[in-house]
Amino acid sequence: MNRAVRLPHTDRFFEARFESIGGLGAHAAGQVLATAAVLNLGLNGAHFSSYGSEKKGSLVRSFVRLGPGEQPIRTSTPVEAPDAVIVFHAVLLGNPGTFAGMRKDGVFIYNAQAGTIPAELAALPKTVRVVRVDALGIAVEENSRPNAVLLGTLCSQFPFLDAEVILAALCAEFAGKHPEAVAHNERAFRRGATEFEAIENVGRAEGDLPIAKPEPEWGYETQPAGGLLPAPGNMAWNDLSASRTGWLPVLHGDKCIHCGVCDLVCPDMCLVWGDGKEGGKFERELMGVDYRYCKGCLRCIESCPTGALTKDAETPGLADRLRVRLFPELIS
Amino acid sequence: MATEILSAPTKTEEAPTQGQARQKLEFRIGNEAAALAACDVGYHVMGYFPITPSTEVAENLSKMQAEGKHDIVLVAGDGEHGAAGICYGAALGGGRVLNATSSQGVLYALEQLPVQAGTRVPMVLNIAARAVSGPLDIRGDHSDIYYTLNTGWIILCARDPQAVYDMNFAAVKIGEHADVCLPVIVVYDGFFTSHQKRRIQVFDDPEALRGFLGTRPDLPTPLDTEHPATFGAYMNDPDLINNKVQLSQAMQAARRVIPEVFAELEALTGRSYPVMDAYRMEDAEEAVVLLNSAAETAKEAADELRAKGRKVGVLSPNVLRPFPAEEFREQLRGVKAVTIGDRADSYGAGGGNLSLEVRAAIQEDPANDTRVISRIYGLGGKDFYAADALAFFDLAGQVAASGKVAEPFAYHGATPGKPGRGARPGLPPIRAEEVSQPMAHVKRNVSTGRLDVELEPLWKMTAVPKRVSPGHGACPGCGAFPTLHQVYNALQGDVVVLFQTGCAMVVTTGYPNTAHRINYIHNLFQNGAATLSGLVEMYHERMRRGEVPESKDITFVMISGDGGMDIGMGPAIGAAIRNHRMMILEYDNQGYMNTGAQLSYSTPLGHRTATSEVGKKLPGKRYHHKDTAQIFAACHLPYVFTASEGYPEDLMRKVAKAQFYAKNEGLVYGKILSYCPLNWKVADDAGQPVLQAAIDSCFFPLYEIEHGHTTLTYDPDASDRRHPVSDWLGLMGKTKHLLKPDNAEIVAGIQAETDRRWARIKALHEHPLL
Repeated sequence: MNRAVRLPHTDRFFEARFESIGGLGAHAAGQVLATAAVLNLGLNGAHFSSYGSEKKGSLVRSFVRLGPGEQPIRTSTPVEAPDAVIVFHAVLLGNPGTFAGMRKDGVFIYNAQAGTIPAELAALPKTVRVVRVDALGIAVEENSRPNAVLLGTLCSQFPFLDAEVILAALCAEFAGKHPEAVAHNERAFRRGATEFEAIENVGRAEGDLPIAKPEPEWGYETQPAGGLLPAPGNMAWNDLSASRTGWLPVLHGDKCIHCGVCDLVCPDMCLVWGDGKEGGKFERELMGVDYRYCKGCLRCIESCPTGALTKDAETPGLADRLRVRLFPELIS
Repeated sequence: MATEILSAPTKTEEAPTQGQARQKLEFRIGNEAAALAACDVGYHVMGYFPITPSTEVAENLSKMQAEGKHDIVLVAGDGEHGAAGICYGAALGGGRVLNATSSQGVLYALEQLPVQAGTRVPMVLNIAARAVSGPLDIRGDHSDIYYTLNTGWIILCARDPQAVYDMNFAAVKIGEHADVCLPVIVVYDGFFTSHQKRRIQVFDDPEALRGFLGTRPDLPTPLDTEHPATFGAYMNDPDLINNKVQLSQAMQAARRVIPEVFAELEALTGRSYPVMDAYRMEDAEEAVVLLNSAAETAKEAADELRAKGRKVGVLSPNVLRPFPAEEFREQLRGVKAVTIGDRADSYGAGGGNLSLEVRAAIQEDPANDTRVISRIYGLGGKDFYAADALAFFDLAGQVAASGKVAEPFAYHGATPGKPGRGARPGLPPIRAEEVSQPMAHVKRNVSTGRLDVELEPLWKMTAVPKRVSPGHGACPGCGAFPTLHQVYNALQGDVVVLFQTGCAMVVTTGYPNTAHRINYIHNLFQNGAATLSGLVEMYHERMRRGEVPESKDITFVMISGDGGMDIGMGPAIGAAIRNHRMMILEYDNQGYMNTGAQLSYSTPLGHRTATSEVGKKLPGKRYHHKDTAQIFAACHLPYVFTASEGYPEDLMRKVAKAQFYAKNEGLVYGKILSYCPLNWKVADDAGQPVLQAAIDSCFFPLYEIEHGHTTLTYDPDASDRRHPVSDWLGLMGKTKHLLKPDNAEIVAGIQAETDRRWARIKALHEHPLL
C-alpha cells in the first residue's frame, strides 16, 4: 500500500531530540518512532542515543532524524537544531542544554503535572509550540511508562507521524516479551495523544535558539598532565535528585533508635549523622537524608528495624523541605 | 516551510531490483548488522569477550540462538587474548570463525593477530573502533585499528551499518581465496556506526548467499589425522623472511581478489564498493581524506561547497590493508591541496597513519604536486560535524590558493581551556586521626593462632568519614557501594586503592570528577593485581631506603568485579603466589554489569544474561559458576574469605582480619556477593532478601580460610534456615524462567552442585587439618 507522508520541511531532515534520565525509556521511544517511520511510513531515518558508561538514573539523550525515503542519511552526529524536543523529566528544564538549538517553528513537549508553568520555559523561542503532558501520572495510572505517553503526545503534534502506525510499532516492541504490557501502553499512548495542554505565551526568545557548544572545564593548557584529578571527592557537587522516580525515604526521628543499620546498606552515602544531643540517650544520631544524593532506592527503609524510615510519594518541594545537608559549609 | 513532499513508497515496493538476490528492508545498528551477517554466513564458532562498543554482536547472536535462528557455537573467552586463542584454534580446525572486539580488546588480542596471519589461517574479526586507554575512554576513534595495520590481516572499512553487513560477506570470501588465505578485519566506527540505527537491505535469499560464499576451502588442519603436520614450527633466520615474502605476496594478491569479490557481491546486492570511495572527485582541486563515518559527514559539506562552485571532493578508502596507494595516486594527481584527517595520532610522527601513508603513496608519483595538511580530529568519540568538514575544506582551500602549507600538522577541535576554570574543588582531606579510631579490634587467639575480631557497635561506625563521597553515578540500589562502605568502615588508617575496570570504577571517576577521597588508581582489569603489587613493592623498598617515613602505614586494597577476576585471573594468581602484602576484594554480582550484563564465569548455571539468553533453544548459561575463593585457597594465602554486603557484620569482621594479614603477612583474597537490581531484575530495595536467600540456600557459603583452616562463619543448616535454591531463584527476574517445569533439570543441576560444594566446605570446616 502506498502511503503519502508529508514531512514538515523539504530542505532539511525532521529532527527530534529526547531529553531524559536513564531508565525512563527515551531510547526505546526514539527507536520505536524511527523504526516505524522507516519500516512502515517509507521514510529514511536514523536513530541513536548518547551513551556513555552512564547507569540507570543519569542523563540520556536520544536522537531521531527522518527524511524522504530516497534521500540518503550520511551524518551520524547528534541532533543540534531539533524540530521537536521531548523532555522526560521536569528537572531537565534546569539544564540549558535541553533547549539548545530549538527551532523557532518547532514543538517543545515536557512531562509535568498541571500547575505552575516553569520559569525556565521563557528561554524558548516565542513562536515555539509548548505542550505539557503529565506523562508520569498517566503512566502510573495505566501501569505503563512515560515514554508511551510522550510518544502519543509527539504524534498528536506532527500529523506526518501517523499515530496508528507508531502505536502499532510500540505494541510490537512489547508483543514478544511482555504481551501483557501491550494494552497498558496503548491506553497510555492514546491518553498522551489527547490529554495534553498547549501552553501559550511562555517563550521570550526571538528566532531559532543557538546551538550548544559545550566546552570542557579544563583544556590542554590547563588540564593536569596525565589525566590526574587532584580534587578528592568533588563528585559531591553532583545533584542526583533526578534519579528518583516518584518516591523517597522520610525519617521519623521519634521512631529512630539510631542503630546505624541503614547506613550500611545505603549505596549513595546520603544519610546524615551527627553527635547526639548533650545529655541525650544517643551518642550518634541520624539527622536525616541529603536528598541531593538520594536516588530513591529505598534500601534504607527495607533495612530499618523500627519503621523510622517510610516510603513517601515525592510531591513538589518535599525533598527541599526535608533535606539535611551533608556538607553545609561547602555545598548548598 | 510551506511546501510539502511525498515520501517514497513503503517497504515492499522499496525492495531493490538492482541485485540478483532477493533482499528485505531492516532498520539496524552496525552491531546488529554484523550479527545478522554472521547468522547468514552460519559460522561454525565465535570466540569473543565482551567490550564496549562491540558487545552487541555477541549479544544479538545469543538472542538469535535462543530463538533457534542459527547454531554457531558461541564461546565467551576469559579475555580478548583468550578469545583470540579460541578463534585461532577453531579456525585451525577447518570451519568458519568469527570474533568481535574493540579498543583494549584489540590490543589485548594483538599478540595473536600476527600469529594467525603468519600461519595463514582465515577468519573474520569485526572491530567496532574505539579509543584505547589511558585514560580510559569508551567512545569511538581509530587508535585501536591503527595498531592492527602491521599484523598481516586484510582490513575492510565499513562506513555505515549497510557496509558492515555487506563487508562481512566480502571478508569471508576474500580471506578464504586460495591466493590470499589470510584473516580479515571489518572495521566500523564505535557508536557512530555500531550504535546507530539505519536502513539496511539484508539477504532474503539463502540460496543466492550460499552460492556466493561456497564452502570454506580445505586447508591443512590438525583434525585431519590422515595427514599429520606440524602447525607452527619454530623458525629463525634464514627462513622467517621467506614466510613474510609469502605473506606480502598474499597481500598483493588481495589487491586483485578484493575488487573481484566486491564485484560479485555487487551483482547480488546492487551495492557497489570500490576500493577507493571517491566522492565528487572528477575535477576536484581540493579534497579531504577521512576514514569511515566522518567521510560521510564530509560528503554533506562537499555538496554544500560544490553548490557554491568550489571544486571539492572526499576520498575514503574502503580497504585499508592492502593499502590502496595506487588509487590515492590516481585520485590526488589533479588535486592542489588535501586535508587528511586521522582519528588517532602516531605520536611524534607528524601525522596519523592514514596521513603518513597517503604522503608516502603520492611522493612516488613524479606528476603529483598535491600539498598535504595533516589533522588529528575526533579523538575519544568527539563528534565530527559538517562544520568540522568545512574547516578541513577551508584549510585545503587556503593552501591551494597560496601553494604553501603554514601548519602541516596539528590537532583539530581541541580546547585550550581558560584560566580560572577547571574541576570543582574537592572535599577537605580526611585527617589521619579521623580514620585511626578502630571500628574492629583484632587479636590473635593464642590457642588457635587465628585472629579474633570484636566490632564496635554499628552506630559508632557512622562517625567514620566516608572514603567515597556521595554524588557517584551508580544505579539506584547498587550493591557495590554498600560493599565498599562496609569495607572502608572496617579499615583503619591510610588506604590506597586500585580499582579494576568495572561499574564501581566508571561511576566514581567520570572526568573531571571523582568520588574518591583517598588515593585511587585505575588500571585495566586484566592487570590490576600486578599493578598494585608493583606499587606495594615500591612502597616497601622506598621505606627501606628511607625515602618514605617509617611512620607511614598504608594498607593496599584492590577492588574488582567478578569480570575483572576472569580476565585478570592470571595476574591476580601471580600476585597471590608472590604473596604481596595487599588485598584483592571482588564484588561479585554474577556478570559483566558494566558492559550491560553479559555472562561472567561467576554467573551461575541457567541464569539469564545478555550472552546467555533464554528462549526455545537456550535456557541461560550452560556451565556452573567459578569457585574463585577455592582457586585462591589453592595459592595457600594467609587469608581467603567469602562475604556478602547482606551480612555486614560478618563482612566487616573479615575485612578487619584481612587488613591485619595484608599488612603483616601477605596477600588476602575476598569474594563478596553484591546486589545488582538492574541486571538481576529485582526491585531496587530487595537487596537484603535476595542476598539472604542466596546464602540461606547454601549457594553462596560464608566462610574463611585462615592459614589453610576453613571455618564456616554462617551455617544455614545449624540455624535451620536452609532452603532449596529454587526459593532463591524465584526471587529474581533473571532466573524466573528456571522455575518453569521444562527447566526442572537445570534447577536440579544447580541444587546438586550447590549441595556438592556445600558438603565439601562443611567437610573442610569440620576437619582439623583443613
